Amino acid sequence: MVGSVNNVHGAAKDGGTQRVRTIIVAGQSSQRTREVLKTLHGFTHVIWPTSLEAALEHTGSADAACLVIADDLREEPIDEFLQEARELHRNLPIFVITDPDDVAEAVSAMRHGATAVIEIPPSYAALREEVARAMQ
Amino acid sequence: MKDLPQTVFVVDDDDAVRDSLRLLLKSAGIPCEVYASAQDFLSGYDAGQPGCLVLDVRMPGMSGLEMQQELNLRGATLPVIFITGHGDIPMAVEAMQHGAFDFLQKPFRDQELLDRVQRALVRDTENRARLRHTDRIRERLATLSPREREVLDLVTQGKANKMVAGDLGVSQRTVEIHRAHVMQKMEAGSLAELVRMMMAVAPRQ
Repeated sequence: MVGSVNNVHGAAKDGGTQRVRTIIVAGQSSQRTREVLKTLHGFTHVIWPTSLEAALEHTGSADAACLVIADDLREEPIDEFLQEARELHRNLPIFVITDPDDVAEAVSAMRHGATAVIEIPPSYAALREEVARAMQ
Repeated sequence: MKDLPQTVFVVDDDDAVRDSLRLLLKSAGIPCEVYASAQDFLSGYDAGQPGCLVLDVRMPGMSGLEMQQELNLRGATLPVIFITGHGDIPMAVEAMQHGAFDFLQKPFRDQELLDRVQRALVRDTENRARLRHTDRIRERLATLSPREREVLDLVTQGKANKMVAGDLGVSQRTVEIHRAHVMQKMEAGSLAELVRMMMAVAPRQ
């Protein structure tokens, strides 16, 4: 069920002793969103599980930097999943990508444990900022 | 101690919104107070008053988000329901990250607001019960002597009396006596209960 594991770009450059943190991106997302999310490879190792359940197989790893839930999964009962993921991993940053202007959905995701909800398009900057913080 | 009745505090600069929310809450039998500005509300704010806040995001002077942060600085636990006519996702996310209970866009249905108010009032009751519980534990902790506090810290770390005696450089019998006093003063029936009490007052990570 797990999607392809991509090469690491820009991580652990100084000798390989630094632990490589992994960004988990759940879902294939729309082409447009995927193009934006692909740029996360610039940060570190990114894996692309194809479902929320598959993502949960990775979130418990000590290397997990954050979980990004992409927009094509928004039809699924995401709040329940968020609650479960939050109960399992109290400190894992979880970012939900959503369509602009869906405020009610964003609020609901926050209530159920999302660290932040990010609109794509337009805001790649917001995603980059949140992920950078999660990587610290 | 009997709780004061819960009140919904509405803070909105729009007269029409204040009036309609006052009528709506009154019709649902929920006590309500309305304020035209954040400053008006804050000047009479009493942390002991249970209830919840219905807070407009955009107001002249101090905004709703600024008022939320001011309340956070004061250690307020009152659940905040934001209402706004011009909400966007970054604004909603910021409000929720700062601990808002909910964020509702105008126009909303009456029932939608009432449901959220009811849930916020339940949350407030739970918050206050939890605070009372931790306050009681802190009061009991304050009655311990410095030595008893040391013994408490060591036994709740899982150390046996013998180890505690070694750490503190006293006899095991002395530790037993201190420990008995700790259990009595903390009103703990078992070590497990004592550990739970200490976890309840430990700062959250």
